[in-house]
Amino acid sequence: MARYQRGDFAAATALIHRLSPQMHRFFVVQFASRGDADDLLQETWMRIHEVRHTYRVGEPVLPWLYAIARHIRVDHYRKARRAAAREERLEEMPEVAAPLPVRSGGTPDLEALLAPLPQSQREVIKMLKVSGMSLEEVARATSSSVGSVKQKAHRAYETLRERLSGEKLTGGRTGGLS
Amino acid sequence: MKDWEIDEILKQAAQAPHDVDPAVLDRVARSIGSSLGPVRPLPPAWALAGGLVLICAAVALAGAVRSGFYGIQNLSVLENALLFPVLGILICLAATAFVGEMIPGSRRRVAPGLLLGAGSLGLLAVFAILFRDYGMEQFVSQGVVCLTAGLLHAIAAGLASWLLLRRGFAVNPMAAGVVAGTLAGLAGVTMLELHCPNFEAPHVMLWHTAVMPLCAATGALLARAATRPRK
Repeated sequence: MARYQRGDFAAATALIHRLSPQMHRFFVVQFASRGDADDLLQETWMRIHEVRHTYRVGEPVLPWLYAIARHIRVDHYRKARRAAAREERLEEMPEVAAPLPVRSGGTPDLEALLAPLPQSQREVIKMLKVSGMSLEEVARATSSSVGSVKQKAHRAYETLRERLSGEKLTGGRTGGLS
Repeated sequence: MKDWEIDEILKQAAQAPHDVDPAVLDRVARSIGSSLGPVRPLPPAWALAGGLVLICAAVALAGAVRSGFYGIQNLSVLENALLFPVLGILICLAATAFVGEMIPGSRRRVAPGLLLGAGSLGLLAVFAILFRDYGMEQFVSQGVVCLTAGLLHAIAAGLASWLLLRRGFAVNPMAAGVVAGTLAGLAGVTMLELHCPNFEAPHVMLWHTAVMPLCAATGALLARAATRPRK
């Protein structure tokens, strides 16, 4: 990151290739659309580039990066909501059953697994379990306290436990672990 | 189902490969490369917070120099020793919080709403302890003068603070607006405490304290207006 701030193109490219997959996944988990996630990823990198001077060398990179990614996501969400409010719906959409959280290879599908969680819990779980961030880092990225992050993670686990146990009882597959 | 079992499922799900279209990454790299140059990082957070505290002190002192130090002169040493350290602590807290709001990924030590609420209540408590004269002579006319003076000094402090932190980036503009307003409002309140010779409790508790929430609300409104997308 320090080299990127000094204008090193190789460092910038390495950073983009290294961090993009997890950021892209962060957006997919939130929106479940690869197209949206591609757009948001590009927008996030452009914003990161504009404000790269706000990163302080020695501080963890991920909270800084995710704080910006969250900002882009919230912005996108607001715009989408505003656009949706202007659209006139002709009839109610039929309710679609949630897909089973399993990929074709038997690996649990993270996006489907986290789909029933509220957005704030989803992002906390994604940062903790996929990006491997600490509670403190997640608190920094989400501008909240460690206690609040713990509470969201706890509630998310409660929901996941209920859902996964339910599937276990009804014989549903939960990523080949049941 | 135990927590470790959920952990295991999430771990497996997280390990599943997640590729990004290489064309997207190339596009990002090309866009960044075209405008890549060295940038000067922001100064350390403590230096920025110190700068904000100095701005607030300078604005309050400048206002009092112009209008007179009647407030601080007519208070006892003990009363001054209670009032100004409380204002100083609040200014330091607000300055640190403002710097945190302008640097993505900073640790949030105190939530903007909490800072505003606790700060206002703290000031009210200090004023209630210090001022026991419950007269209401020229309550509105004198109050409006103080409120206007406080707000004008807060505007000056707010503008100077924004200039200092203009290179920052607020990921939550509303929160940054509230904190910036709180800080600017505190500069206005400090100026009033240095200057205002009216020690009637209702006057101080309403018109002086009101500067802070009014500035915070203005900060939030300005942030909202600035971030509203153009049609």
